[in-house]
Order: sequence, then structure tokens, then C-alpha cells
Amino acid sequence: MKRRRMNQVPLFSSAGEQAKMLVTSNLIDAAWAKIPELQRGQSALPSSVQTMIDHPTPNSTIVVFAPLPDSTQYPLPQGGDLVPYPDFDFLGTKEWPSVSINRAALTLFESLKNHLYGLKTELNKREGQLIITGHSLGGSIASLFTLYLLSSMDKESKCRPICITFGSPLIGNFALQHSHWNSFFLHLVSDKDPLPTLFLSSGRSAPTSSHSQATAYKPFGTYLLCSEIGCACFDDPDLILKILTVASSEVAGGLLQVVDYGEILRNLKNRAICKGPQLAGERFAYPFSDGIVMELKTIGIDPAKHNIDTTRMEAEARTLAKKTKASDAKELNDIKKYMVMLEWYKKKSKEANKCYYDCFKNGDFQRDVRIEEFMGQLTTYWEDMVAQAERKPQKEGASFRTAWFQSATTFRRMVEPLDIAIFYRDGGRDYINNGRSPLYKLLEKLYDEAAKNTTREGPDSKNKKVSVLLTDDSCFWAHVEDAILSCQSLNHANSTPEQRESSWKNLVEFGKYVTKQIENFAVSPEIFLEQSSFMKWWRMYEASIDAFRNFYTSPLVNFMKSHKYDDYGLPEEA
Amino acid sequence: MGETVGNLIGLNDEVIHPAATLAVEAHNSPSKQFLVKKIKIRHDLSSVVVFAFSGSMLPKDWSGQPTFAKTEIATGEFRSLTSLNDGGDAVVNGSFLRRFKDVIGNLSKAKELKEATEKKRQVVFAGYSSGGPIAILATLYFLEKQTPSPRCLTFGSPLVGDRIFGHALRREGWSDYFTHFVMKYDIIPRIMLSPSSTEHEQILDYFKSKFDRKNINPAPPSGFYLTVMGNASSVASYEACHLMGCRNPSLDIIKSFIELSPYRPSGTYVFCTGNGNLVVVKNPNAVLQILVHCAELGESNTAEVEKRSLDEHSAYLSELKDCLGMQAVVSLDGGPATATLNDLGLSPQAMLCLQAAEEFENRRSRNLEKIRKYLEKIEVELEMMRKYKENAQISRLGYYDSFKLQNEDDDFHANVSRLELAGMWDEIKEMLKEFELPDDFEKKREIIDLGTKYRRLVEPLDIANFYRHSKDKETGAYVIGGGPRPKRYRFIQRWLEHDEKKPFGSRSESLFWADVEQLGIDIKKKGYLQEIEERIQQVERNLIAWIGDRSLDDDVLLENSTFVKWWRDLPPQHKPKSDRIEKLIGEMSERVTQGTKI
Repeated sequence: MKRRRMNQVPLFSSAGEQAKMLVTSNLIDAAWAKIPELQRGQSALPSSVQTMIDHPTPNSTIVVFAPLPDSTQYPLPQGGDLVPYPDFDFLGTKEWPSVSINRAALTLFESLKNHLYGLKTELNKREGQLIITGHSLGGSIASLFTLYLLSSMDKESKCRPICITFGSPLIGNFALQHSHWNSFFLHLVSDKDPLPTLFLSSGRSAPTSSHSQATAYKPFGTYLLCSEIGCACFDDPDLILKILTVASSEVAGGLLQVVDYGEILRNLKNRAICKGPQLAGERFAYPFSDGIVMELKTIGIDPAKHNIDTTRMEAEARTLAKKTKASDAKELNDIKKYMVMLEWYKKKSKEANKCYYDCFKNGDFQRDVRIEEFMGQLTTYWEDMVAQAERKPQKEGASFRTAWFQSATTFRRMVEPLDIAIFYRDGGRDYINNGRSPLYKLLEKLYDEAAKNTTREGPDSKNKKVSVLLTDDSCFWAHVEDAILSCQSLNHANSTPEQRESSWKNLVEFGKYVTKQIENFAVSPEIFLEQSSFMKWWRMYEASIDAFRNFYTSPLVNFMKSHKYDDYGLPEEA
Repeated sequence: MGETVGNLIGLNDEVIHPAATLAVEAHNSPSKQFLVKKIKIRHDLSSVVVFAFSGSMLPKDWSGQPTFAKTEIATGEFRSLTSLNDGGDAVVNGSFLRRFKDVIGNLSKAKELKEATEKKRQVVFAGYSSGGPIAILATLYFLEKQTPSPRCLTFGSPLVGDRIFGHALRREGWSDYFTHFVMKYDIIPRIMLSPSSTEHEQILDYFKSKFDRKNINPAPPSGFYLTVMGNASSVASYEACHLMGCRNPSLDIIKSFIELSPYRPSGTYVFCTGNGNLVVVKNPNAVLQILVHCAELGESNTAEVEKRSLDEHSAYLSELKDCLGMQAVVSLDGGPATATLNDLGLSPQAMLCLQAAEEFENRRSRNLEKIRKYLEKIEVELEMMRKYKENAQISRLGYYDSFKLQNEDDDFHANVSRLELAGMWDEIKEMLKEFELPDDFEKKREIIDLGTKYRRLVEPLDIANFYRHSKDKETGAYVIGGGPRPKRYRFIQRWLEHDEKKPFGSRSESLFWADVEQLGIDIKKKGYLQEIEERIQQVERNLIAWIGDRSLDDDVLLENSTFVKWWRDLPPQHKPKSDRIEKLIGEMSERVTQGTKI
């Protein structure tokens, strides 16, 4: 094992302390308390899983799912495979868009759906604490029901849910690692319990290669793993899977053993206030790795023997520790600063009677070098935001994006013209198909979707602000550049008639496009500055019309020839 | 080794045992609220006056509603007991506070106290068991009144205040005046980490009959240890998760489902190990961990430890007699020493918690170092801002309006500076919110001064930016409670107000422009309503007062500024202070004219 380098600050693993906090608090007791009661009671539902609802205090609700006693012992004769379940695709991420659920759990869930729908409607009205709990297959239903409930809850909901399961099998192929929903799930698993690992030991779904991951079980939420002598909390799906796999190989054969979680909790509570057999010796030189080895051994895992890389775990923890609210605050102000720098560049260019697009393309100012640096910083920042959104489940990712897409749009309109400038300066052709980065494509797609759902301001109100506006279509300059190339091809002596014809067609299209932009006040008036690429195009185009199609006219030609653009964007006289 | 407790806590060793004796005596004299004793120090013949408080073992004097008898304290006599960074006011046990309030009238009037103050004698407030909280609150009461620093000694005292309570004590530099002696297994110093319950009552009942001497050997209760220590352990583990940098968001969710005790140790703790050694600890996180971990069950069975946890509450006098003579004291600050931990009987897991507590302090020091480097950068940026402001006066427009127009290169550079500064102060703000800087950060003179300078110079630019982009249409006025005003300014303003002992909200001179802008908008919208007129008068009064005490720079009076233009446009009947303000504007105009001539 590699040791911590000098100068690095010591890290710690809180897996043991978090578990201790949980078992000494009364939360898990409260969740467990009703389960044996429900199992002893009359069965109210024609199903192997029973449910009840209780209000221990006026401000709290507990929903319990428990299997009938005989189905605890022989819970899953078959049904260990995963079935695609599009109803839960809202949990999918970009990488794993479709969600599959364990057949046994799904069959039960579907059979209870009418009942659960009523329950959901009732709970959506409630405020305060909501504990959803279940044992074995009842826990699977508790998890599925909680997800179902979360998906229908809005942000304003005053109901705070937590789902606590006891010895429940893994239920699906989604990990929720980057979702805040992940933190609503707590799964208690004893190393003596064969149930949680039932499907893993069947060998049907062990993740042998990365290819099979799409169909393999993944744990989600926090696992409170316990043994006779202690417990530890983990939330890394791969690590949990590994630990469960090790445990399953060791309990194999003890399938009929019934694990009493009530007894386990009592034991852990007592253990939590015991010193254990050993007293502290020297200070720990490597608190993270020493700590995690202790924690893993407590739950019966020998990291060396089972090939668990604590060095990698520490490295990951170190990366996480670097990102704090303080560093985020700094980054956000830096991003604002870069945008201000670019706005200033745009303004300076305008003062020199040029578009910032052209200034940048021609390298007119000394500060252009730094502009590329700012572009890089901004692009990295937004790429990261987009990637974060993509790792979240669809619905959550969408609301995450809504929070920043306005700023992202400003970024796209400000920075993409500069990327276009670089592309054409370096001799590129057809930017939209050959040069456009996925980031811009995605941001534009998001914008279009949002625009569809909101009523846009009318052109009148826009006219007043148009002088400070960025051009709506961030690809405007790419269209201009392609139009210039079309003009050149039109005028070129070696062009074939077909080429001329197609160029002319492109130019007509471009004319229509620009007319529409002008009518909507969607372009910045800066494009009409004398030295802009757009005006350069116009002069070429005008010459071509004179040369080839003497009497050609179009709204744009009229607009340009009559110098109507002098008034474009000026506030209308009252 | 070799140091005495007295050295470490800054009090003569000769005082400790007599103070403990008096505290135990006072606790069991319910007929008197407190006892007083003068102790002569042999070597310099000075005197120390000890006040010790009576106790009560009635459950109503320990607990109350809401759970944990939580009571916010930062009012009147305890105004310092609050956080200056959005953390709210300190919480104390309301039943203890009530008992303190019953005592304070007579205590303030005590002739011994007056005499001690006149003769400049060191005053010590001491308390044993439930007398401890009164001693703590009395000490704080006199610290707030800035009387010569009293000391506080408690023996087997329950916890009194929450995390903010301890934070405020350390921020004010008072923490070292409090010393708490705790026996290794004594249940009482741990009891407030657990909610009141039948187990609590059993424990209190037992001590009540014991102290009342109605029953010399009452039957000890049993079964309480698991409950009390289980809850205490939950608190310690929760705090340990934070110290260890736990990033699992489920921790917060879980926390919202369970009610942990809010109470945390503060001040210096002296742990009596039971074998003649004393361990002195100041790091509050380490104290909590030791408090819980050293009382964990070991080899012996629960019943044995349970009995010991009751017996040790009565063992302070004999234990201290032995320890104080031996000078066998170890200070734990600066890293846990192994020998000491063996005395306390800590587990390896407890050792990790202690190392995490130590590392947390190291991290705060490292953060402070990082911020110290920022301070130099901030100075440089502020100097540029000052020059910007000075230059802007020449055009008789002022930097506020110049910035709002954003026409010149200087305006652009100022905007970049504004964002640079915002980045650094926001980082500081976030660190403070997470208690990631030393507790006394907000009390440091140079920090308050630099912050105030920053706030007065740069907040107007944030306001200008806000109204330049008409952001009020999206978010409402710049100044509304919890509204768009950046928190960094709110924090910095509170530091100054706290430092000057002024009410919160009284130092809002940096908001002058926001008041003016918003009034302009509101007049257009609503006309001259009564409420608007009052606000205009308030702006006038503020202007005169703030120009007077130089907290607002007179460049707001420049002829072309938004303020002067707006104010001149007001109908005369709405400007009661017209003459005075015209005069100020005139003076400013003259100064600028002369300045430009030179």
C-alpha cells in the first residue's frame, strides 16, 4: 500500500462514525418498530407484502412494508432477473438512459399499484417527516414507492421523506450517484443476511465486464453494513457491491437463516458505547487508510484479501475535499469576471467602429491573447456544468439546468462568435456541420426547448433594448462567412454554372434568414458597422447582383440599399 | 508534565481546592443563593474572592420545553452570545437561565462583590453540579459588563450552551476564563447530551436524596447509562463526521429526522483520570470526543460503570486534593499524547476522532493563512478603487455614477476589481458560515477595518451595477431582508456594529445609494405617499449624520451625481432639511473647484 506523501493534509474516513450516529439515534428503531407488528397482524391486502401507515406524532408519518412471515423465508423462488421498466426512466442518466427493475420486486409493485397510487395522493398532501420503511422484499417496495413519490413531489413540498430498508435485495440497474435523491435512502444489511445478495450469488448479474453493466444490479443510497461486532456506512456503489459480493460468498448455504434486525440493532447500540478490546496505542500516521481498514474489518472485510484499493479511495476523498462552498463562490465570481472582460472587449471594438467578431478574427487588439484564455476558462466551466447535469437523473438534471441556462445562453451568444472567428480564420468551411462543438449544440437545444415553453416577448419591447443586445443566433457569423464564400464562388472565374447556381441559391436563403433576424430585432446593430464582415459580404453581394442579376430584388436588398439599417435598433420616436 | 493546572488555566493552584470545597458546600445549602469566601494566596499575599452557588436536583430546574429547554439568549445582558455569520443566536438551557436570573439581582448587590471590585481583587465564580451553570452565566454576565475579568471554576457541571455559545465565547476571547473539572465517568457533565427522560429523573432523584441527607445511601438507579451514553455517543459521532470531512449528503437528511442535543462544551476542560493525573484540553471538539469516549464501557460490566458514573459525581474534593499536589498534568492541545490517552482509556476509534478534532483546528489555521494572503491583495485592489473614486470626482459626477454609465476604461477596470474583491470576500463569507476560520476572525481589528473600508468603497458599485441592469425588476429592491444584497456586506456590517456595540442595521451607510435609487423608482411608481415622504426625510437625516461622522464620503454631493439631481427634482415641500443639504452641496462644489485649480 502506498503511503501518504509528506505535506499532504491528513484525511479521515467517517464511515464508522456515521454508522455509530445512526444506530445510537432512534431513527432506525422507529423505522424497525412497526415491522414485526405488521408481520404479526392480519393481512389486509391480497399480496405477499403488507403495508400500514401510522402517525407517531402529528407532524410525522411512517409507512411500513413487510412481507408475510412465510414469504420471508422463501421470498423469491424466481424473478431474479432485471426487466426494463420505462415508467422509471426518469431515473436514467445520459450514460444509462433506460432503467431496469428486479422482476420479483416489479411484479409486486405493479400488483400493489392501485393501493400505492392512493397512498401517494394522500402523502403528497402531508407535511413534515415521512419515514418509509420495509423489510426484505417489503424494503424493495418501500424503495420503489419512495422513488415513485419523489418523482411526483415538487420543490415546494413540505414533506421530507427518508426510506429505510432492512435486508432488502438489490432492485435495479440505476445508481443515483449524482442525484440528491440518493441521500434519501438508507439500507441496513447484516453480513449474516443472505437476502440482499441473493441475486448476486445467483451469478445472473455479476458485473463481469463493463459491457454487462447495463444489465447489472447497482446499489443506490447509503448502506449501513453491520456485523456482530460493529457497523459502517458507505455510499460508493462499487464498494458496496464488492462488500455485498464478499458477504454473499460467505453466507452461502445459510439461506434459511432468519435475521432479526431488532436484535442486531440492540447489539449495535450496546457496542457503540463500548471501547472494544483494544485501547489506543500510538497516534495514527495515516488516519484515512488506517481508519478505513479498521472500519472494513469491523464488518468482516479484509481490504488486502478482497482487493479493495484504499489508496484510490483516499485519492477520491482528496479530490472531493478540495471542492468546497468557498471554492465554488470564488469560481463563480471568476466566471462573472471573464464575462465582464469579454463584454468590455465587445464595447472597445464598437468604439473602434468594429464588431468584436471582426476585431478578434483580424487580431486587432493586443488583448486578444487573453481573450482566448477567458474563452477557455468559460468553456471548461460550462462543459463541467453540462456534464454534471448529464450525470443526474433526467428530471433532476432538467431542473438543475433551468437554474443556469439563462447565463449559459449569454455565454453561448458571447463566446461562440469568437470560436467561429477562429474556425474561419484558420480556413474552415461550413462551421455548423464541421466545427461546432457539442457544448454549443446542446446549449442551443436547451434554449429552443425552453423557448417553446415560454411566451417570448414581442418584438416591440425588444426594439428598445436591441442596442445592448447580443445577436440571438450564436451562429450568425458562420452564416455570414458561408455567404461570403458563396459570393466568392459566384464571382470566381473557374466556377462551373452548377456551382454558381448553388451559390446563388445559398445567397437567396441567406437573404431570407437575415431578413427574418432583422424583422425580429434578433441581430445586434453592430453588424451594420462599416467594417464588419457582414457589410463586407453586402458589398460583394451588391456587386454580384449588379454583375449577374441586374434586377434582382428582395426585402433585404431593399433594406440595405435604402440604408434603413441606419435606424435599426434606435428607440422609436414616441 | 510538570506544569500545574493553575499555570495552564491562569489561576493560582491554591484557589482551586478551596473553591471546590466552597462550591460543594454552597450546592448543598439551598437556603442561601450563594456563599462567599476570601482566599489568601500565600506567596504574594493577594486575595481571591470566590462566590459559589447553590444547586437544585429538581427535574424542573434541569429541563423544560421545548426539548432540551432550548432558549435563545442573545438579548440585553448577553448581547455578545450570537453568531455574526447567519448562525443565529446562542442557545442555552432555559431552566439554568431562569435559576441564574433568580440569583443575579442579589449577586450584583452583594457587598463582597463591590468590595472585591474596589480593591481590585480577583473574583471567581464557582459551582458544583447544578451550581455550575449559574457560575458560568454569572461570569458571562460580568464579562459582558466589562468588569475586571472574573474567572469561572466548575466541578461536575452539566453543559449549558450550544455551539454558537462556545463560538461566541471564543470570538470574544473569554473562553480561557472558564475552567471545568470533570471526572472520567461522572454522568452529570454528560447528562445534557441526552434529552430529558425518565432516566434523567431517576438520576436527579438519586442525587437529591443523597444531597438532602434524608437518605445517606439511597438505592442507585440502573439502566440509565445506555440511554444517556447512547444519546451522547450520537452527538459525538455526528460531530466527528463533520470533523472528518464527511461528504455523504445523507448525513444532513438523517440529522433532520433526529433531534440531537444542541449542547456542546466550551472553555477549558480538566479531566480527572482517576489515577492522579489531570488532562487539560481547550479544543472544544476534542473535549466533546473525550467527554463521550472516556466514559465508554470497557472491560468491566455495565452495572459497575453505571455505579461509578454516579459515585464519581461526589468524588471531586478527594480527587482534586490528590491531583493538585502532584502536578501531574498533561495538556492535550497541540496533539494527543499517547500516554495521556492511556490514562483516559480511549479506543483507537476515539484516537481518530481526536486527531480529526486536531486536524480541524489545523485546517482553520491554514485557511487563515490563505486569507492573510488575500488581505494584501484586497489592500491593493482597494487602493486602485480609491484612486478611481478620486479621479471620478473631477468630472463632478462621482464614481457611483461614472461606474453606472460604464463609459470609460477606468469604469471597466473598477468592475473587474469589484469582481476580484467579491470573489475573495465571498470565499471568506463561505468559510465563516461553515466555521472554517478561527472563532475570533470577526473580532480582529484589522479584519473589521479592512472589511468596513471595502464595504463603504465597493458596495456602492454593487448597487450601481444592480440598478444599471434594473435587477430590482427581477428580485425586488436591493435592500430587503434576505434579499439581493450580497451576504458578504451584511456580514461585514454586523462585525462593525458588534464591535461598536450598536444595534444591528444601524451602520448601513454603504446602502445610501440603494435608498436613493429605490426611492427614485418608488416615487415614479407611487407618487408622494406618506411612507415615501418619511423615507425621503430618513435619507436626508442619514446623509447629514453620515457625512458628519465621515462614514459616507461627500462625493455623493457632487453636482452631477444621481443623488443631487434626484434631490433637486424633489418638490420643495418634501425637503425639510433643504438649507442644510444645499449648504453641503455648495461646500462640496467649492472644494472640487479649488481642487481642480491646483
